[in-house]
This record gives sequence, structure tokens and C-alpha cells, in this order.
Amino acid sequence: MKRTSYLVALVGVLVWGVAAPRTWAELKLPARAAHIGAAAWSIQFDSDWRVVGGLPEKAMVISLQGLANRLAPQLYIMQAPDYQWEIPGPLYEFYQRRYQVRFTEIKTGAAVLELFKGHAKGYVVWDPQVSSSLNVAFTIAGLEDAVVVTADLIPLVEKARLKQIDDLRGRYTGQADVQIYQDAYDRYWARCNHDAVMLMGGQMGAVMVPAMADIGVAQRMFFEALAANPKYPEETALERRILAGVNRDGYVFGWHPYSKDTEEQHVTLTSTYGLKMEGLYNLPNLSFNCLFTVTPGFKYANRHSVARDAQLTPGPKVYISFVQSDQMGLSAWTSPDRGKMPFAWQVPMDWSLFSPAALQYFYESATPNDYLIGGLSAPSYMYPKHIPADRFAPLMQEAGAMMQLLDLPVLEILDNSAADGNVGNADLPKDIVDRYYEAFPDVIGFVNGYGPAHTRDLRDSRPMISYDYYIDPNRPRDAVAADMNELIALNPRRPYFLLVHVRETNSVASLVAMITQLRGPVEIVPLDVFLKLAASAKTYQTCFEYPDEVKHFSGFGK
Amino acid sequence: MKRTLLGGLAALVLASLAGANPVLAGHWRMDPAQSAPLDGWHKMDLVIGLEGSQVAITHRMQWRSTKLEATNTFDTAQPVSLAHMFRVEQRHMAVYPARSGVTHATAAWLDGGRTLRIAAEMPVEVSQGDTVMRIYSEYRLGELGDTLTLIELHSSRNEPLVYVFHRINAEEGK
Repeated sequence: MKRTSYLVALVGVLVWGVAAPRTWAELKLPARAAHIGAAAWSIQFDSDWRVVGGLPEKAMVISLQGLANRLAPQLYIMQAPDYQWEIPGPLYEFYQRRYQVRFTEIKTGAAVLELFKGHAKGYVVWDPQVSSSLNVAFTIAGLEDAVVVTADLIPLVEKARLKQIDDLRGRYTGQADVQIYQDAYDRYWARCNHDAVMLMGGQMGAVMVPAMADIGVAQRMFFEALAANPKYPEETALERRILAGVNRDGYVFGWHPYSKDTEEQHVTLTSTYGLKMEGLYNLPNLSFNCLFTVTPGFKYANRHSVARDAQLTPGPKVYISFVQSDQMGLSAWTSPDRGKMPFAWQVPMDWSLFSPAALQYFYESATPNDYLIGGLSAPSYMYPKHIPADRFAPLMQEAGAMMQLLDLPVLEILDNSAADGNVGNADLPKDIVDRYYEAFPDVIGFVNGYGPAHTRDLRDSRPMISYDYYIDPNRPRDAVAADMNELIALNPRRPYFLLVHVRETNSVASLVAMITQLRGPVEIVPLDVFLKLAASAKTYQTCFEYPDEVKHFSGFGK
Repeated sequence: MKRTLLGGLAALVLASLAGANPVLAGHWRMDPAQSAPLDGWHKMDLVIGLEGSQVAITHRMQWRSTKLEATNTFDTAQPVSLAHMFRVEQRHMAVYPARSGVTHATAAWLDGGRTLRIAAEMPVEVSQGDTVMRIYSEYRLGELGDTLTLIELHSSRNEPLVYVFHRINAEEGK
């Protein structure tokens, strides 16, 4: 039965004319389809990602997912309810409802192997004692069409008549990451896809969650988890060499290695090479999602509360607007309380390339209180202060095209390169602000920051407003209300425009309750209304990053 | 005339010294369970030094791996002007020390030297420009001398911020 369905799917692929993408550049071409009524398979993962537990089988399935999804969207992985990303479940339902995808659930990794073994030419063995060997194995998997296994799984793949392509056991024992990845670089880099690299960092210890590896295998990317941290000069030097070898306009998929550097350091470095960061390392199913278009007839339409050319007159009030910018799909969107208050959500714009169905799901499930904005800083996550000057305009042109496609008239900017996590300097110098105003003449405004910042401006009718407040999810709600009331007291002119960044793990219900504690003539407004009002009454001071402003991290230089 | 002035000054210094409780000096560590939640900081230690009429309050702050040390020196004998007064700020608020702002502060011993009162007017930068935040603080020594309670009231905030500290020895304070 399963084999029959599989053949039907393959025939379907041929009928739809979906060619097997060979490189990332080819994937950008219109090889995608809506795949209406396609047959596909799914497997439910549990939450055991321990290296000595559930990881080996999951890694095998993920590598096979990358291979199987090269031809057509065939294998989808469901994650446990406590998984960091909330999107796999709703999107699974969405594919069935809007695309009429017919999923057949597979219960075990062995069954996945049996069904999709035809996409693999062999297997590569990684060493659980050397966690980085898994990344090398993923690189080989993409290049050689292999599944990745530990020694315990060899009987299973041998039974499936797969041959051993490589065995990494012992090759890297006792070696430092820089040695391991240098060896891998010497062996494999030249043959890898140079339009993207897979920074498979995140957790790199007893637990690893390489759920994004499927797209890396499918696209034959080079996997690594090198540090971008002056504390590790050799690793950073190799990372720079790799990033320098990624093609212009390329992507860095994945995420930085938590134990060796910071998000700020690594995004600073990727931005220095003009590369776009697409996270996180544990975002599943990109190899599946990237083969879909939106459904026929669908057009991205935002939930505007005010016309683009409207002029609004503010009253003597405190106008507050809330923005959530931590990657839609991580959490909060599925909260039953969403829609109870106006909220702006930063859309990962490059999902128009990698996950159009997910974006369609967000747009179609948005309530009138959910307003979508573009970000982050660029077509994907970048720090503008470090983008090479000659790359800024083309990148912003690409971002502008995405904003037009996605009906997003507001751009969110974040440069945390000098910040210390979510505190410290998130400001922009005037020359960068100038560039944004020049690059985006049609926006209704910009928002800036992650933690608070003081970069503000108004040119023609386009305000640039930084966050005056960041809601730490761990901060008691009465303290949040007290903080916001203090800001209201310290800014006595009316109107006062109070822009608030909400970390995605904040409960919407707690915010609904918190705003009842705010004092004064407060009005919560959608972000587009907020910016239109701010365009009409400039009660905020124009300000940019001060030249002597504290820089927690000053960057890597040229 | 000079002798009279010097005598008066000495009396003033002696009076201020007489008010100081030497037990207040030393290292103190904030107890998060008993304190208002910090914002943008994880840990706070205070090191209080007494010298004549001067009170030096050193803040040792930590946020993740970032450590900051800043000292405010007040004088119970006279007002002081501080170019860079450190404030235990709520760091997720866009409230910054005003550039070129000078904080004027007075300090006094109360309750027989068990309480240090500081009143400061601190220029801060906010969205609408520079403004002044009045900060009224009391450092209250516990009866047994092993706890210190800092009560801080802002002119812009109705809810006082209360931080409770326990004494630690210098070695623990390193």
C-alpha cells in the first residue's frame, strides 16, 4: 500500500513537472508548485534529542528527509508539543486543509528508511563521542546522497541494502572543532553548494537538535558550527574563510553555537560578508516547505487599519503600540488570546522563498488586530552597521520587493552588534538612517531596536521610532506596568508615542491584563495607526547613535 | 576669624561623623527573593565605604557575563555634584543618563546613624528630550547589622523599589 502511494506520488511529481533542484540557485527559479492534492508522509518526533538517546534515529530521518524532499515534498516531521517552534502542527493541518495534501503517518524511523531508502545511495557513520562529526556526516550526506547513522543503526541500514560510504568513527577523536572543520573544509567545501552554508550550532553537547539539517542535506550545504568570537581566533578565522566563500547574496542557515559565541557576534560576522541569516538551527521541514508556492489565487494581504496616504491627527494622549519580532512561528501566534489587543508581528520575509505556505497560514489566520511588518533590517536577519556599503542598496532593494509582495509597509530594523543581549546599544548612526530613508521611500515608517534604543527621526511622513520599552517575559506584570507608567510620567508632552517590543514568550493574556494598570490618557493602537499619528506630531527628539556610545562588542573589522 | 571658621567646619565634620554607623560599611549582596525584581541585571552587590563625612557606595552589577562596577561618592557635610552618577536603572526602559547631565545630591544620616538618606536630582534623556528624575533613597541598617534595606523612590514612579541585602565578607564579595 505504502509503495503504491509512493509510486503515485512520483508520478504526480512528473505530471506537475517539478524538476529536482540541484543547487540553491536553481531552487530560486520557479520550480516550485502548489502541489494541490499531493500525497506525502509524516512522522511524529518525541522530545528526546539526547545524543545517547533519541538523536541518532532522528538525525537519520532528517538526513533522509532532505534526500526524499529533493524531488518533491514527501516527508514532513511533526514535533512534540513542547518543541520550541509552534509552527509544525498548524502548518501540517494547513497543508491538509488548503492544499489538500494527503499525509500518511509513518510510525518509526525504520519505516521511514524502508519507504525512502531509494533516495539514498548509502550511509555515513558519525561518532556520538565527537558531536561535530554529525555535522561532517550531514555534509557528506548531501554530497553523496547518504543517510547519517551511528554504529547502532548500521544493521538497520545494511538491512535496507545501503552501502557504507564513509565512517567517521575515530577520524576526529581528540580533535578540536577547528581541526575537524578544517579537515571537512579541505575534503568537501569545493563540492558543496556555495549559495548557502549551514551553521548547525545551537546546543552542541549532550543534547543536539539539528532539525534544520534537512534543507542543508537537500541543498548540499557545508555544515559547520564554528565560533565567531575573538576568544577563538582560529575558529573565527576559518569561519571567515568559509563565509567569504559563500556567493554574493547568499544565506547562512542555522544558528550560532551557543557555547562558543553570541548571536550578536555571529550575526555581526555574517553581515560583514553581506550574507543573510536564516534561523534557527531547529526549524524543521524547510526542505518540504520550500517546494510549495501559495495556493492558486492567494494574494498576501495585510490587516491595515489606516490607508497608506492617510493623515491622522493625534489627541492629547499616550499612544502605545506593541510589536512582536521574534520570528513568527516560534510561539504566541497560536495563543487563544491573540487578537484581543492590537499587535504587530515581524514577518520573516524570506519565508516567501522558503515557506510560502507558512506565510499564507499566518496571513489567513490573522485577526483584524494582527498587523504584519517586514524585517529584520534586510531580506533576512542582518545588522546594517556591518553590511558592506556596496551591498546595502541591492539588499534593501531585495527587501523592498519582498515587502511589496507581502504587503508590508513598515520595516523593522535591528542592529544588536554593539548591544549586550537585549540591553545596551541598539542604535543606528545617522548615515545608516539616511540609507534606510533613501532605500524605502514608500514605507509608512520604521521601527528600530530589540531592547530599547533612542534612534528617532521623522522625514516627510515617515517616522523612525525605536522601542521605548522591552517586555522581559520573566518580569512580573505589575513591574512591567510600573515601568511603563514611569515612562509615561517621564514623557509629559501629549501625544507621547510609546513603542513596546514584546518578547515572543510573553503571554498575550498577561499583557491584556497588564494594560489595565496603565495610568493616564492611554490608547493602544495598531502600529500603522501609531506611525501615522507619530508622523503628524513630532513630540519625540531626533536622535541617532552617539559616536561615543558604549559598544559591548565592537565587531571583527575588515 | 579663620580659627572660628575652622572650628565650625571641624564641628560639622565631627557631627556628620558622629552620625555615621560604622556597621554600615562593608560588602552587601542583594537577596533577589526579598527584593524588587532587577531589570537588565541579574546580581547586585554594594560596597559601602565611610571616610570622614564621605560615603562611597560602590555598585557591583552583573548581567550575564557582563560585570560593571560604579561608585557614587556622597558627602553628609555638603551637597555634591556628580557628572556620572550610577543609578540602578530598569535597563529595558529607554531612560538614559543625560549627556553632560550633572546630578546634584545631598546625603544625611538619620535614625542615630542607622539610616543613610540620599536625595538626588538626576538629569535623564527620554524620548521627549532631557528631564530630571528626583531619586530619594534610604539605606536602612537592620537591627542585627546583618541586613541592609535600600528603599528608592522616583519622582516618576509611584511604587518604591525595595532591595534587601545581606552582609558578606570581603572574600565573598570578590
